[in-house]
Amino acid sequence: MVEIFGFGGMAINVWLVWILPFVGAAIIAGVARKGNRVRDYTAVGFALASAISAATLIPLALAGSEIHNQVSWISTLALKAGILADPLSVIMTNLVAWISFLIFVYSTGYMHGDRDLTRYWFFMLFFIGSMQLIVLSDNLLMVFFGWEGVGLASYALIGFWYQDKKKDFVGKEGHRAGGIAMWASPTHAGMKAFLQTRAGDTMMLAGMFLIFMYSGTFGFKELIQNQAWATQMAHQNLLVPAAVLLFGGAIGKSAQFPLNEWLLEAMTGPTAVSALIHAATMVKAGVFLVARIGPLFFALAAFGVTQFFEVVAWVGAITAFLLATQALVNPEIKKVLAYSTGSQIGYMMMGLGIAGLSTNFVDGYTAGFFHLMSHAMFKASLFMGAGALLHTVGSRFMTDMGGLRKYMKKTYLFMLLASLSLAGAPLITSGFWSKDAIFAAVLESGYKYSWPLFGIAVVVAIMTAFYTFRMIGMAFFGKQTKHLEEMQQRGHHLHEVRASMWIPFAILSVATIIIGLVGFVFEAQIHHVLGEYLSNSFGIKEIIGGNAAGSSVIHITPEGDKTYFGLNPIAAVASVGAFGIGAILGFIFYIARKVDPEIISKNILTRSIWKFLYSRWYLNTALYWGGVIGPVAIYRMIWKYFESTIVDGINPAFQYSMTYFSKVIRSGQTGITQTYIFVFGVGIMIIMMLLFL
Amino acid sequence: MADLFSTPIIVTVILGTVGLAIPVIDALKKERGSNNKLYSGIAFGALVVAIGFVIFRIFSGEVMPAVAFSKGVLADDLFGSFFAVALLIVSIMVTASSWNYMKGRTNPAAYYSLILLSSIGMILIGYSTDLVMLLIAWELMSIPTYALAAFSKRDPISNEAAIKYFMFGALSSAILVFAIGLVYGITGTTNIGIAIQTMASLAKNLIPVGLLAIGLFIAGFGFKMGLVPFHMWLPDAYEGSPTTIGALLAAGTKKAGFSAALRVIVLGMFALNLNWTVTLAIVAVFTMTLGNFGALIQRSVPRILAYSSIAQAGYIMIGIALAPYSDQALTGSLFHIINHAVMKSAGFIAAAAVATALASYSLERYRGLGRRMPITAIAFSISLLALAGVPPLNGFWSKLVLFGAAINSGPMVSWGPYLAIAGVLNSALSLGYYAWIMRKMYMEEGPDMSRVKEPKAMVAVLIFAMIFMVGFGIWHAPILDFASKAIPHNLTSIVHVVSNIR
Repeated sequence: MVEIFGFGGMAINVWLVWILPFVGAAIIAGVARKGNRVRDYTAVGFALASAISAATLIPLALAGSEIHNQVSWISTLALKAGILADPLSVIMTNLVAWISFLIFVYSTGYMHGDRDLTRYWFFMLFFIGSMQLIVLSDNLLMVFFGWEGVGLASYALIGFWYQDKKKDFVGKEGHRAGGIAMWASPTHAGMKAFLQTRAGDTMMLAGMFLIFMYSGTFGFKELIQNQAWATQMAHQNLLVPAAVLLFGGAIGKSAQFPLNEWLLEAMTGPTAVSALIHAATMVKAGVFLVARIGPLFFALAAFGVTQFFEVVAWVGAITAFLLATQALVNPEIKKVLAYSTGSQIGYMMMGLGIAGLSTNFVDGYTAGFFHLMSHAMFKASLFMGAGALLHTVGSRFMTDMGGLRKYMKKTYLFMLLASLSLAGAPLITSGFWSKDAIFAAVLESGYKYSWPLFGIAVVVAIMTAFYTFRMIGMAFFGKQTKHLEEMQQRGHHLHEVRASMWIPFAILSVATIIIGLVGFVFEAQIHHVLGEYLSNSFGIKEIIGGNAAGSSVIHITPEGDKTYFGLNPIAAVASVGAFGIGAILGFIFYIARKVDPEIISKNILTRSIWKFLYSRWYLNTALYWGGVIGPVAIYRMIWKYFESTIVDGINPAFQYSMTYFSKVIRSGQTGITQTYIFVFGVGIMIIMMLLFL
Repeated sequence: MADLFSTPIIVTVILGTVGLAIPVIDALKKERGSNNKLYSGIAFGALVVAIGFVIFRIFSGEVMPAVAFSKGVLADDLFGSFFAVALLIVSIMVTASSWNYMKGRTNPAAYYSLILLSSIGMILIGYSTDLVMLLIAWELMSIPTYALAAFSKRDPISNEAAIKYFMFGALSSAILVFAIGLVYGITGTTNIGIAIQTMASLAKNLIPVGLLAIGLFIAGFGFKMGLVPFHMWLPDAYEGSPTTIGALLAAGTKKAGFSAALRVIVLGMFALNLNWTVTLAIVAVFTMTLGNFGALIQRSVPRILAYSSIAQAGYIMIGIALAPYSDQALTGSLFHIINHAVMKSAGFIAAAAVATALASYSLERYRGLGRRMPITAIAFSISLLALAGVPPLNGFWSKLVLFGAAINSGPMVSWGPYLAIAGVLNSALSLGYYAWIMRKMYMEEGPDMSRVKEPKAMVAVLIFAMIFMVGFGIWHAPILDFASKAIPHNLTSIVHVVSNIR
């Protein structure tokens, strides 16, 4: 019993990373009694403490070693609770912890004066605690606990402003597509997010237990050590379905097609929450899960799991395209960013998927993960910047902004830097390098459909650059809109936001540029660390400059620990070109304003395309008709014709019979001691009879 | 004779000295008036020291692993220590909540003194390895509780309860003495270990006498455990006694009954033959079913809890019936015993808190309790859910272990799985009244919805119980480890040896 507490050395730091936020969440309501300021500092303090614990693990990741620590948890099932801090999770945990910390600092400014801040901090801390649990646990079951925690926190935070005031809505009121309202209240959006991710969670649970049935373990380490389960599952053709089911969880959580709709309406939460969801916690969980289990399944490549990676890559590609097109036309700044997140995550999935389809797993893997890192930074920065705009302008529509660069110089500067990264401005932004890495990985994969994938990736890159510049142009350039003029007339002063708000996103956008400037070296470093991780943990070796076209067999080479990196000329030209085209178009329409974008409404074809995109490809409509209205009608019928007749007919019978038995027993309990003793005596005789039978 | 510095002796000395000192202090004190808080504090301190000592001994590693037999009258082993910990937790909870309950009632000194003395008896039963020692401990446990049950001496219901309890106690003691006499008669010893060895090679014509002894033991101990058909006194006594004493009876003395039954019936008598275990299985099924049906339409909360404790005894019996075949079953029994001790004490203490605040036991008065006494209501709800076995509370895990053991009991018992089925159906049925209470507390509104002051000490006890139930629900490994270490692991192998001899 004593050795249960035997956390050795650094392991305690790993536990602390995810336990501290939960502790903070547990005490925050009590602390709130001491005053608002104390409460806010406590929340930020716990986020910082967690981040510092995470930072202590960095040397470990760079050294390529890992911490794996377990305690007995559910001994009846021989389940253990444990943490696994390997290079992958250490990088991720730091990313999550530090970005969350910055968002917490930002929140102190953004949410200042909100009357429900205790609830806000509780769920924010709960959120990052759950996310860190996902990142650091060593088994799928604990990951699932974190997974559900993240789902709960996102539900509570998306619907944070539960009074459903009009200003907190998302979407343009009155906009209907196929009879379905395209605007949503916070509570509705929260429920939608919860239910849609739940669909993914159910799949994930099924996948988990399917694997558990064959392997008897949830542990990542145990799964890779003893691969007999994979042989068995492959025999029954269950391996790929189980992997795809697990990926279903990632689809839900990362808002990939076809479970992408919730993300767009999740914008009803406070902007700091959106930043957290998009940059650090919620949607990255899905990508991280794929990064966690991808190598595992790749290491089992002998059993033919290529279909799994194909699914991952194509889901990513479809989502990237789908959401990028929708971002082109949306007038709400946060929603544009939301579409962009989904689309960029599509890139990451594409990278991770193509990794498993190529001979050199590390390239795609690094590319996907690198994009995750750079996206986390610039998207957090962009969201916080968008929050600053909302704070000042008081409207979520970019059509109400315009010309703001004069008033909000800092916000303008740092949002521009982060936008450049999102658009993939060549050579100076991290976004360029990570996107380029994905392009290169797709091109070099040797996958038979790599060219279509590459084509989609380039088109998406063009659109990304375009909508990014559109956003910057609409918000900061051009003339002041009527809304702003009215505000000024009413005596509102258009001003820069306070320091606690702009500093956090300034830090992140500068960081993304710094990483961009040393992008080449940085990428090589990640490549090296992840390469070592893959080779140590999964035996996936790198092939030096190799390209054994189409084959999915792993080639193990002795000199696998060297790193190889080179700029793929086609990929580089394509990404520079995509940025150029998109940026120039965006510049013409929205910054220089040479051409009025209204031009598209003149032509019936462009108009209908616009309408199609603006109505989100009618996916939302299909979802509501097929997933809500239809089933509810069926349930009503079941209730009316089955439950209220048959079930309600049987229930009373059950009730009366139970009551009858109970009355019989109660009537035996006469209260007369003589009777009791008589029963006692009879009891002894019955026992004797039973014994002697 | 056991070592003078062994756990049972030291605990006896601690509790005995304090238990005898309290009335002396009371007699010496000049000022009359209630010194409830003082005595409660002293008794609480003594019990905490005792449990601290037991736990210290366990961690120091000087306690023997669980043994079935020993040459002395007491064995300082983990089995006894396990029960000592469980029972001391109950005594501590009862003593602490009596701080509020006894306020304004007469003779607190005698009350706490009797609790301490009864605790000694309960603890010693677990450590006993000799039938005479066991009988003495049994009486030491029982006699103070007769007085405690009658403690509200002007309350006729309390008196009636005590009388019934006492008559059954006397009856069962007589039966136990008779059974011990029979064992002594056929084996020539009262030491449990030697008696078993002798019984294993008993002459054929004496075997019926051995079986008779087992039957009498089942009846004698079954009275305390509340097994059907020896349960009749139980609802009346639990309901009529002061509610805190109800907790002591339901959670404490009942568990002591199980420890005695485990020592004697299971650890010992399978030496005869194993067919009698099916008797225990039948008793288990009847006990849980009757308990649950009985509780279904009651109107008094302590009475519901009393019936519920009959039902819970049935679940624990599953493990005891299967003990010779499966270590897991016995582990499950012990696990459920410690869980039930806390869950049921919490239930009774919540009822005591309501009785203190609202002066009523009626379920009708529980309407709207969720708003009137929020902490009591939530603690009560958690204990009810734990009793029903709702995950992730501790009661779920012990039932899981028990029912799992019943399903995997092996080829020697064909009826094992039926016990699991009966247990699961009964658990479902039990929600009928557990959820009913919760519905009253949270869904319905009473005539008076004003906030009531919750008794502080009871709230503290209930919070402790909540932490225990939820905490060990989420992470049950420590207790389960303890339980699995506290059972003699060679049981199943002994069974094989014995069945080969026959």
